[in-house]
Amino acid sequence: MIKTENLSKIFRTDEVETTALDEVSFEVKQGEFVAIMGPSGCGKSTLLNILGLLDNPSGGDYYFNDKEVSTFSERQRAKLRKKNIGFVFQSFNLIDELNVQENVELPLIYLGMPASQRRKRVEEVLEKMQIIHRRKHFPMQLSGGQQQRVAVARAVIANPHLILADEPTGNLDSANGEEVMNLLESLNNEGTTIIIVTHSQRDAEYAQRIVRLFDGQIITENIK
Amino acid sequence: MFINFIKTAFRYLIKRKTYSLINLIGLAIGIASFILIMIYVMDELGYDRHHERAEDIYRMAQIYDFEGVGENSASLPFPVAFTLKDEYPGIVENICRIFNFQAPRSLIEYGEQKFNERRFFFADSTYFEIFRHKFIQGDPETALDEINAVVITASSAKKYFGDEDPMGKILKFEEVAPLKVSGVIEDVPGQSHFIFDFMGSMASVKSVYGGRLPPTWVWNPCWTYMLLAKGANPEMLEEKFPEFIEKYFYDAEKDNITLYLQALTDIHLESRLDYEIAQNNNKSYIYILTSIAVFLLVIAGINFMNLSTATSGKRAREIGIKKAIGVSKRRLIFQFLGESLILTYISLILAIIIVELTIPSFNTFTGKNFDLAILLQPQYIIGLILLGLFIGLFSGLYPAFYLSAFRPLNMLKGDHGLMQNSGFGRKVLVVIQFTISIALIIGTMVVFNQLNYLKNADLGFKKENIMLIPVNRTPVASSYNAFSKELLLDSRILNVTAMDDILGGAHNTHEFRPEGLPEDKWQFYPAMVVMWNFVETFNIKILAGRNYKEKNKSDPVTGMLINEAMVKHMGWRSNEDAIGKKFRSLNGEERVIGVINNFHVTSLHAAAGPFVLNMKEKPREITWFLKYVAIKYQAGKEQEVIDLVNKVWMNYAPSRPFEYSFLDQELRKLYDDEDNLSLLSMIFTFLILLIAGLGIFGLVSFMAEKRTKEIGIRKVLGAETLHIILLLSVEFFWLIIIASGFAWIISWLLITDWLNHFAYRISLNWLIFLASALIAMLLALIITTLKAWFASKADPVDTIKYE
Repeated sequence: MIKTENLSKIFRTDEVETTALDEVSFEVKQGEFVAIMGPSGCGKSTLLNILGLLDNPSGGDYYFNDKEVSTFSERQRAKLRKKNIGFVFQSFNLIDELNVQENVELPLIYLGMPASQRRKRVEEVLEKMQIIHRRKHFPMQLSGGQQQRVAVARAVIANPHLILADEPTGNLDSANGEEVMNLLESLNNEGTTIIIVTHSQRDAEYAQRIVRLFDGQIITENIK
Repeated sequence: MFINFIKTAFRYLIKRKTYSLINLIGLAIGIASFILIMIYVMDELGYDRHHERAEDIYRMAQIYDFEGVGENSASLPFPVAFTLKDEYPGIVENICRIFNFQAPRSLIEYGEQKFNERRFFFADSTYFEIFRHKFIQGDPETALDEINAVVITASSAKKYFGDEDPMGKILKFEEVAPLKVSGVIEDVPGQSHFIFDFMGSMASVKSVYGGRLPPTWVWNPCWTYMLLAKGANPEMLEEKFPEFIEKYFYDAEKDNITLYLQALTDIHLESRLDYEIAQNNNKSYIYILTSIAVFLLVIAGINFMNLSTATSGKRAREIGIKKAIGVSKRRLIFQFLGESLILTYISLILAIIIVELTIPSFNTFTGKNFDLAILLQPQYIIGLILLGLFIGLFSGLYPAFYLSAFRPLNMLKGDHGLMQNSGFGRKVLVVIQFTISIALIIGTMVVFNQLNYLKNADLGFKKENIMLIPVNRTPVASSYNAFSKELLLDSRILNVTAMDDILGGAHNTHEFRPEGLPEDKWQFYPAMVVMWNFVETFNIKILAGRNYKEKNKSDPVTGMLINEAMVKHMGWRSNEDAIGKKFRSLNGEERVIGVINNFHVTSLHAAAGPFVLNMKEKPREITWFLKYVAIKYQAGKEQEVIDLVNKVWMNYAPSRPFEYSFLDQELRKLYDDEDNLSLLSMIFTFLILLIAGLGIFGLVSFMAEKRTKEIGIRKVLGAETLHIILLLSVEFFWLIIIASGFAWIISWLLITDWLNHFAYRISLNWLIFLASALIAMLLALIITTLKAWFASKADPVDTIKYE
C-alpha cells in the first residue's frame, strides 16, 4: 500500500540546514499495523506527515497505492488524503468551537456527502466509539480519553484504508491510553492499515512491526 | 525609563509591521481627511466675522406674501433704511444701502481699457462706518461723501491703473458717469458673502434719477445693512417692524409685508432669499461634511482598537512578565496609551504630508484657496496637538484597560481568559464601522442620483443650444428689434428673444391687479418681461389661447401669458376659462391671451408656482427690462454662432465688450453646492471604505492567525481553499447584515429629511439600499478571500502542532 525509496527531507532556515529524513526506504502492506519509534527529533513525525500526504519530501520517491505522489500539489494531495487517510494526533486537534458530532462530521462535509447520510454515519461511528451520549458536548467538556475517542471517530468516519496516529496516547493516562490502543487494534482487525508514531513500548506492542528511526535513518525493523 | 519606554514602543510597532501599517495608514488618511474637511468647515463658518462688531451687523429682509405668492426678498425699497434709522435712533446706530441698478454687470472704462464688471455697487457714505475695510489710500469717513466718488480694491487699481497712483483718477461708468477714485482698499476677503471690486457713492445714483433717489415703497432693489446700537438686540427692533410698516408702507401692500433681520454672520450659510447678492452656501452641507469628518476619525480609531485588542494575545506574555515582576497596572496603562499616542502622532505627521500633497486638488474641488500655512496659525497648531491627544486616547483607552487587566499567571501560560469576551466588543465595533460605511454609501448614491435628477429634470422648457448675451443698458437693448432681425438672417440662428432675467435661474415679481379686486389692491406675481418669440425659443407649450403675434400691434401693451399654476391660483375653472381675463398692470389694462405650461423659473429647490409673462412697449422700459438676449441656434454650431453674434454685436455696440454664456451652463451653476457635496462625499466615502477595508484586512489577518490551527486541522480533514474562505468570511457576512439593518434605518430617516428640502426629488429606491449592503459585502469578501487564500496556502503541517 505504501512504499518509499530513499525518502529524504531537509528543513532550511536562513542559517541552519537540518536533515530530518535521510534516505528512508520502507514499505507498509495493506492491513498491517506498524509502529514507528525513536527518540525526540529523530524524524518520526516528519515521516508520518509525508506518509500522510501533509508534506512533500525533499528527495526520493513515495508510492501511495502504487502511484508516485512525491511531487503532487497540495490540491492533489488533499484529494487523495480525504478519501484514503484518517489522522489521530497526540493533542487530539479537535476544533473547540464545534461539538462532538460536528467535529466528527467534518471530513464527510468536505467529501460532499448529503446531510441525511452524514447524520446516519456519524451516529454509527459515535456508537461504535461509545461516545454517542456526548454528541452535543464541546471538546472542553470532555476528558482526554473521550476527546481522543472523538478524534479516532473522526479519523475513521470516512472509512479510510489507512490511519496515521501521531503519539495517540501521549496526552492520556494509562487506562485511557489502553482504551484508544484497543480501538485502533480492533480497526486493524477489521482490515484498516494503521501506522503509529510512539515513544511508548507498550503502545508499540500492539503493532505487528516496529520501525526504529534515529537521526533520520531507519536503524532496525523488527517483525514480531 | 522614558527612553526605554519609547524604545519598546517602537520595537513593538516594528515587530507587528502589518498591523502597525494598517493603523498608521488608516489613521493618517482619516486625520488628513479630517484636517481638510475642518479647514473647509472652519472657513465656511468664519464668513463675515472679520468685521469689527460683526455680531451687531444685521441685514434687513422683506417678505411680500399675496396668498402664498410673492417673494422673500434680500433687498428693500430705497426709503426704508434712513426712515428706519430716524424712527429708532436708539436701536439703529448706523445703516446703509447697497444698490447696483439690478444690473448683472456694469461697463467701466479707463482710457482704452473697458471691462464689464460684475462686482460694481453703489452704497451710502455710511457703508465704511459699518463695514470696516482696510484703506490703503483715502479716508473711510469721507470716501463716499461726494457725488461721483468711487472706492476701489487694490486688485482693481492694479487692473486699471497698473503702477500709477489711482487716487483722483476718473473711471467712466456705463459711458455716462465719470467716477473719481476717492479711496483704495485691500481686496475684500474671500470669506465674505458680499464681495465687491468697486463701491460708488450713493449720491452718484441720484443724478440718474433726476436728483433724488426713487421714493417708492414698492420697488425694492436696495440691500440694507445696519449696525445695531451697543446693548440693542434684533428682537427689540423686529418688534417695532409692524408699527413701522403700518406707518410708512402703502395701504395696498401693508397687509402683505413682513420685515425681519438676518445676522450678518448667518447670511452665508443660512440665507437663500430672492435677490441675494451672490449665491450662498447651505448649512446642512456643512453639517454633513463635519459628520463625515468625524466618521473618518471614528472608523480609523475603531481599526486601532480592534487590532490592538485582537492581537493582544500576542502580548500576553510580555504583560504577564511585567506584572509578575511588579509593574503596576497604572504603569501598564500608561505604556499602552503612550504607544497609541506615538502611533497617532506619527500618523498626524503623515496626515499633514498628505494634506500638503492633496490641498491643490482639494482647492480645485471646493473653489477655495487654502494653503498649508493655515495650519501654522496658533489655533490650528493647538487644535492638531489636541486632535492627536484625543485620537490617541480615544483609540488607546479601551485596549489599554483591556490589556492591563490580564492576570499574570494565566498569561504566562498563554491563556489570558479575556479573549473570548473581547470578541463581542470587537463585533460591536465592526458593526459600527459598517453601519457608518453603508449609510454613507447610501447617502452618496442618493445625493448623486438627486443631483442627476435635478440636472436632467424636465424644466418645462428647453435649455439646450441657447446662447445668452447680457445687453442691459447697451445700445443692443435699445435697438433690440433690428439686432434680432439681423441675427435671424443667418440660417444657423433659429430663434431670438429677450428677457429680464436668466430663465430658470431667477425672476422678479411685478405688480398686477386682477379683475374684481379693489382699486388699491395690487398683487405681486413672479413674472418675467419678455420679447417676441420667447415661447418658441424655449419650446414652451401653449395650452390654451395663443402666443404673442408680432402683427398684433397691441400685444406688447395688452397681452399677457400666464402659466397653469396661475390659472389654478386664481381659481379659474380651466385654462380656456382664463383666456380674456383682465389684469391691471403698469402697462394699463392687460388681458390673458394664452396659458402656457408650468416651467421652472428658479432652481428645483423650490416648487414651480404661478407665473406671468408680459411684454413692454415703451422704448425706455424695454431698455430697462431687457437684460438678456437669448439666441437659439443649430446644435453643434457654438463656435460659428459666437463669431457671428460677436460680429453683429460690433455693428450695434462697438464701444461695449461682447460677452456671452450658454443657458445650460448657467443653470448648472444653480447646483454648484450639490455638485460640491456630491463630489466631496463621494471622495470621502471612498476613503472611509478604504479605511474600513484596511480594518477588515487587519481583523481577518488576525482571525486567520488565531485560527491557524483550526484551518490546519480542517485542511488535514480535506477542506479546500473555498471552505477556508467561507469559514473566514461568514462572520463578516452576519456582521454586515446587522450593520445594513442599522444603516438602512438611519440613512432612510436622514435622507428623507434631506430630500424634503427639494421641491422636486427622487423617490427612494430600495435597490440603492440593497446595493449599499452588497458593496460592503463585496468589499469584505474580496479582502477575506485574499487573506483566506494566503492562509489556506500555508502548509497544514506547520500549523496544526503549534498553538
